[in-house]
Amino acid sequence: MQDWISLPLVGFPLISSLLLLAFVSKVSESMRNKLSDPIRMACLVFSLVLLGITTGMFFQYFGDVSWEGIGFNQYEYSHRYTWIESLGIHWTVGLDALSFPMVWLTTFLLPVTIIATWNEKNGATYFPIVLAMGGALIGVFVALDLFMFYVFWELTLIPMFFLILMWGGADRKYASQKFFIYTFTASVVMLLGLITLYFFQDPGNPLDYAGSMTGRSFDIPTITQHALAENSNGNWYLGANIQKVLFAMLMLGFLVKLPAVPFHTWLPDAHVQAPTGGSMLLAGVMLKMGAYGMFRLPISLFPHALEYFQLALMIIGMVSLVWGAIVCLGQTNLKKMVAYSSVSHMGVILIGIATMQPMGWAAALFMMFAHGIISPMLFAVCGAFKHHYHSMEIGAMRGMAKHSPWIATSMMFAWMASLGLPLLAGFVAELMMFIALWYFIDANGWSVFWMVGPALVLALTAAYYLWSMQRTIFEGGDETQPPASLHGEPVPDLASPEKLAMLILAAFTILFGVMPWIGLDMMHDWTKQIFDGLILPILGDFNGGI
Amino acid sequence: MSNLTEIEPFGEGFVEAMGPELILFAGMLLLIIVPNLGQGTFRIPGTQLRLPWLLGGQRFEFTSDPRLPAWLATFTLGGAFFNVLYTFSQGLDRVAIVSESGKQLLLVNGFSRIFELIFFGALALAAFSSMNRLRVNGVGSKVSETELFNNRRQADFYILMVTCALGMSVVALAQDLFVLFIGLELASFSTYVLVAFLKESKVGVESGMKYFIVGSVASGVGLYGLSMLYLWAGSLQFDVLATAFATTSSTDMALPLIGIGFVLVGFGFKVSAAPFHFAAPDAYAGATSPVAGVLATASKAMGMIGLVRMLLIVAAPETGDGSAIWLVCLGVLAAVTMTWGNLAALGSDNPKRMLAYSSVAHAGYMLAALTAVGAWNWDAAVSGDAGAAAVAVLTAVIFHLLVLVAFKLGAFLVLSILESEGDVSRLSSLGGLAKREPLLAVSMFIFMISLAGVPPMAGFLSKLLVIMGIVRVAVGDMGAELADGGIYALGDMHWVWWLALLMVLNSAISMFYYLRVGVVMFFDEPEEGREGPLPAGWQVRAAIFACVLTTLIIGVAGDAVLRLCEMAAQSLNYDW
Repeated sequence: MQDWISLPLVGFPLISSLLLLAFVSKVSESMRNKLSDPIRMACLVFSLVLLGITTGMFFQYFGDVSWEGIGFNQYEYSHRYTWIESLGIHWTVGLDALSFPMVWLTTFLLPVTIIATWNEKNGATYFPIVLAMGGALIGVFVALDLFMFYVFWELTLIPMFFLILMWGGADRKYASQKFFIYTFTASVVMLLGLITLYFFQDPGNPLDYAGSMTGRSFDIPTITQHALAENSNGNWYLGANIQKVLFAMLMLGFLVKLPAVPFHTWLPDAHVQAPTGGSMLLAGVMLKMGAYGMFRLPISLFPHALEYFQLALMIIGMVSLVWGAIVCLGQTNLKKMVAYSSVSHMGVILIGIATMQPMGWAAALFMMFAHGIISPMLFAVCGAFKHHYHSMEIGAMRGMAKHSPWIATSMMFAWMASLGLPLLAGFVAELMMFIALWYFIDANGWSVFWMVGPALVLALTAAYYLWSMQRTIFEGGDETQPPASLHGEPVPDLASPEKLAMLILAAFTILFGVMPWIGLDMMHDWTKQIFDGLILPILGDFNGGI
Repeated sequence: MSNLTEIEPFGEGFVEAMGPELILFAGMLLLIIVPNLGQGTFRIPGTQLRLPWLLGGQRFEFTSDPRLPAWLATFTLGGAFFNVLYTFSQGLDRVAIVSESGKQLLLVNGFSRIFELIFFGALALAAFSSMNRLRVNGVGSKVSETELFNNRRQADFYILMVTCALGMSVVALAQDLFVLFIGLELASFSTYVLVAFLKESKVGVESGMKYFIVGSVASGVGLYGLSMLYLWAGSLQFDVLATAFATTSSTDMALPLIGIGFVLVGFGFKVSAAPFHFAAPDAYAGATSPVAGVLATASKAMGMIGLVRMLLIVAAPETGDGSAIWLVCLGVLAAVTMTWGNLAALGSDNPKRMLAYSSVAHAGYMLAALTAVGAWNWDAAVSGDAGAAAVAVLTAVIFHLLVLVAFKLGAFLVLSILESEGDVSRLSSLGGLAKREPLLAVSMFIFMISLAGVPPMAGFLSKLLVIMGIVRVAVGDMGAELADGGIYALGDMHWVWWLALLMVLNSAISMFYYLRVGVVMFFDEPEEGREGPLPAGWQVRAAIFACVLTTLIIGVAGDAVLRLCEMAAQSLNYDW
């Protein structure tokens, strides 16, 4: 089995993009413009190679890895190199049903992003930065070492900062700094939580892969195993008080990244100012880092605290869901509306987590995946809109269906997918969340009013999406009157690379809507395992779980 | 463990032990003599006979080369640096230089050697990158090429750098408070002159005066404290003072405590800890950028040695309850210093002042680490986790000082390139650097995020180590006791944990002003008159490149350096 395969997955994009950037920065301005085409091609090929590798891993081409039935705290393709021995830091990688879909998603979005933003300016620096972003993101998902996880977690900020700062909209200076500082603040608190967790390990109880200087281990599988043993005995791992504090500190970092209301204010600014490619990766993968982190650390290590904070998480999830949808209704900026709809969808993930049901968690995992395909399409449509009509205002362009059928069709498809049309990927996740929530409420005797929020949001989401479509695609539509922002230029439609990107994204949205079991089976297996192993021993004769 | 060899001055083995210092001394003599060599002759009185005597007169082309002093200083300091590295690779022996009566004056061990690495590395980089670019007419004014290369003042500059290194290494070696003070003063006086080197400009004079006056007051207070300690213990040997401190009953503590407090004022000025930091921003703003870089790295490390020796050796935490007498005081000082530094840096538009305040903030982080040591036993007899925790914290401090040379000095060197085309007292002078020279802008960005502590830079690892050290002390043995069924809450941890929290929040604040530099470089247009290519100078670019490489490599693979620092930390109080 090719255990080392995560190493090139992370290292290759990072190193190749650094080399490309170093090369580009040495050449003259005119040469740089000439180089833009070959570099774009190279980046596309590199990212396709990555996609080939991860797809091959899924189809069991590299080693006979079965993705279904992976147990809790079991990892495929796991490997370990010593990094900083004195502190117990290792380059530890591994994949399970939680991280593999995210890794595949990242490698899938990289080529799609490159294709969708084929004509981005300063391509010679833009495409390597996109590639570097991909490498950092994959690093976050494959890392099984707290130190390594944090390093990649922060490393993703740097390329995204530059994507926003150098290719963003008019207010990009403010947005890029806000994005960086906001998420950095949350993650340093998380870092302190991680270090406190590190030192609360018992050095007397022999730890695998412990540092020679510290006697403690950064190894996530080791820590998870210790925590599991302690938690399932009925004790709280590290004791009740510490577990609650650490849970809160880690969750703060993840909730800001997700983002959940009230920590979401960086997201609309970042999205509106970010270039299309930046938005696609930000919404597609970077937000999922938050949900991924929740599963990987606080939920796996501190299930007692999860139960303790269940109500709080449920409330935060509900508020995100409803608040995001309400704010969407009031938006006149297309991209801002899509950004707030992301907040709303991340609320679904949080509610799924808060149900503490295998199906709720599978819904959250599938939502991470489905939203990772749909939201890049939303932002690609927004980008095309901005690119072709030089405006982001809803209503700046009317009657698109007649002017530019391609944009109109892609927009309609993406909007429908996002509001949860059956047979598209988003619907599956939302439906599962509803079932899990209903089951949870019923089994635990919670009030039925908890269903009001999600039900209301179904209507709200349909309202803001349909309303914006009506105003941009169908209404008006006098072919003789193109929008004022075009200044009399001919009305454009999608360029061919954009068309290709839209088709790819739409095809996979349909694929995972019609055949959700491709990804869902392994996710549900995994959440069932973690539920049986971790939650059931705690909750005792708790209402079963579906 | 290595054996202690005692050597009298100029005794057997003296040359090997004092290798770096002797190299510095020889280099200093060369720096004084060589630039003065010329076709000078000496007429024998009463005759017409002229004997060539080489000093003075029309200088040779070789000796009047403006680059010569810089090369000499670079080779001297670099030679000393590699000599230290060589002794490390040979397995370090502990060598004490003793007086005739057997008192230890200087002690060569891992602790002193690693600080010498810091001093010589920083000064060598500063000397190398000042080559050919040292202007004598002050910040901001354009000067012609001929004026720029005024050899005699060039020589002064580099001689002072070497004497500064000599003084600093004496501080690192000293085992006697008086010897330490001599070294401190030698280094201080060199830096006073270096700071005031741009005496033609207003800002240069102002900074020189401020730095000198405040610095000499701090030294004076320190000297007064030293005399009190002598009055109390009858000796200034560190081990005598430590023994006396441990045996004095708490009712008789007034005199030594006041003395130690006064001595700490002197060192507090050197590390620019609040409230003794007021001269630092002015000094940094008025000095040439490489000198400011030296102040922020080597000079700070020198002050840190003093703090470590006074707080951890003399006023060591008591073995029993394990909390030092200065614990709360230092904790408050650390909190105030880091917060004050960061808040002041937020509001400063001058990049050099900004870096000065960031240096104050970093001093606060290191004081927080020292506080953590005080919270637990610092005793060779305590073999368990306590001693290891203290070593871990001290390792973090040393590691931080060591890597600070790379990214702090590197940032100043980038500024120094901009400085040689005009004033850099506003952040906007960095504008458009990404368009003018992309690699330089990327280097500066790497230095900035390394200062802020973003992975995978060396600054992240050092900050992580400091936080880890503090948390380790705060958590203590609770991990093991929890496993045995103990119940603990957040409040049961030692309060130094809150210093760690304050530190990470301060890092978040600091992100604002570090990121602002990046935004200006990559977003804004160049200032008027700065559109063209940057001033040439391969030396400074090579130095910056070395700094970038060090920042990245230590950030990604810092294990070897970390072990070196750990060994140095152990040797402070163990028989290493």
